[in-house]
Amino acid sequence: MDAILQVENLSKQYPGFKLDNVSFSIPKGTIMGLIGENGAGKSTTINAILDLIRKDGGTVTFWGQELSQSKQLKEDIGVVFDGINFYDTLTPVKVGKISAAAYKQWDEYLYQDYLKRFQLPADKEIKTLSKGMKMKLCIAVALSHKPKLLILDEATSGLDPVKRDDILDVFLEFVQDEEHSILMSSHITTDLEKVADYITFIHQGKVFFCKTKDELRYHYGIIRCGAALFSQIDKTEILAYRKDDYQWNVLVADKEKAKRKYKNAVVDDATIDDILLMYVKGEQSK
Amino acid sequence: MKSEILKDCLNVSHNARSMLLILVVLAAVIIPTTSGIEGYIFICAFLCSRMIVTTFVFDDTSKWTRYAMTTPISKRDLVAGKFVVLVIFCTVGSLFGMAVGAIVGAVLKAVSFDPVGIGELLLLTLTAWVISLIFGSISIPLVFKFGAEKGRALLLVSFLIPAAIGFVLYRLLVLLGVEITDQLIFVLLCCSPVIAFLWCCAMYQISCRIFARQEL
Repeated sequence: MDAILQVENLSKQYPGFKLDNVSFSIPKGTIMGLIGENGAGKSTTINAILDLIRKDGGTVTFWGQELSQSKQLKEDIGVVFDGINFYDTLTPVKVGKISAAAYKQWDEYLYQDYLKRFQLPADKEIKTLSKGMKMKLCIAVALSHKPKLLILDEATSGLDPVKRDDILDVFLEFVQDEEHSILMSSHITTDLEKVADYITFIHQGKVFFCKTKDELRYHYGIIRCGAALFSQIDKTEILAYRKDDYQWNVLVADKEKAKRKYKNAVVDDATIDDILLMYVKGEQSK
Repeated sequence: MKSEILKDCLNVSHNARSMLLILVVLAAVIIPTTSGIEGYIFICAFLCSRMIVTTFVFDDTSKWTRYAMTTPISKRDLVAGKFVVLVIFCTVGSLFGMAVGAIVGAVLKAVSFDPVGIGELLLLTLTAWVISLIFGSISIPLVFKFGAEKGRALLLVSFLIPAAIGFVLYRLLVLLGVEITDQLIFVLLCCSPVIAFLWCCAMYQISCRIFARQEL
């Protein structure tokens, strides 16, 4: 497996928060979704990956090299944060000029293409653009220096479903050649269900799991049952459980096995949202 | 670094019209008074040098610095870019002051265009450039340390530090019995770009140290 980004035992301590030995890797040609509740450590992880904060421990390598070792690495990494980082009075044309001066790999024709494709007015000031257009501009900039890895920190949050869908299509197109990858943190798990290949779930500063989306989608399930059946469930099979008013919801890693074993129970498919909620709000089996 | 300089110039260009208006109004108010052309050139250079703090405000508003560090630019390059932009602002300000001062002065017949008059005008412009550069370059580490808003409030500090150093040096020369002659002042003025350069180098190093420790 050729990893574009390898994160190993990444640690960072703040008063009241600790990013604790976070590890994962992103293979070529894949999209990795980073999920977790607010304050779980997603942005801290991305900041540490990008060397924006000092790591207390661990290593982050892009194509086997640390970011501080080579300026060229940054040419190959496109970054989009949750808001636009260009001042309000600039226009997309001026943004292009600034970015062209920043990146050796900048492709002006490609940028103009994205402006057209995203229907961005070249001479309008950023302050007159809608939030969706601003995000599209950021993505156009990030893609126009031909990066091999895109890092997106809540880049699609705040966009309506239609605009999000347009942008997700661009991301899918980006990874199609099997050489490019994307790391995207998002609260909108439906987006990740659509595009991600892997899901890394960070909870209270720790990686809870890093699994393929298909494994979560096709294997994970939620048993809906009453107290009597709940007491019969093998505790080693329970990943997390939560009691509603009259029902127990139990997250299991193998829904087919659960269906066979507990014939009287309803076993539903688990969405990424369900899994996240069960882990965050439910209790875990001891 | 080129992208940093271009970004600051493009950001500030939006304010250029209002700055131009201010400088034109000041020309009408200051040049006919006793402080005349000299005062005007100094004010132009000084006001333009203060725009370096405005560039930090723009950066803060758009969270630029964090983003810039994800582009192929080092922290030292980013700091160096700010100093280059300051030099540009000071140069534009002092040259603008000189040009407008010379034109209005010619209209009011307050300036002579013989070699001595032109020499005095150029020397004044150089002095204004050096002083605005020294004052402006103190703002940069202050803003890196305390942020753009607090840095603005610390404007007085950027006056007081060089003024205090200048005063101490002056007292030292007097104590050592060095006579302050016109010739000595002329030599000091001619050396002033070197002094400004060395001063900027020191401020650059301080800024780099402050910025290197910061998390974004």
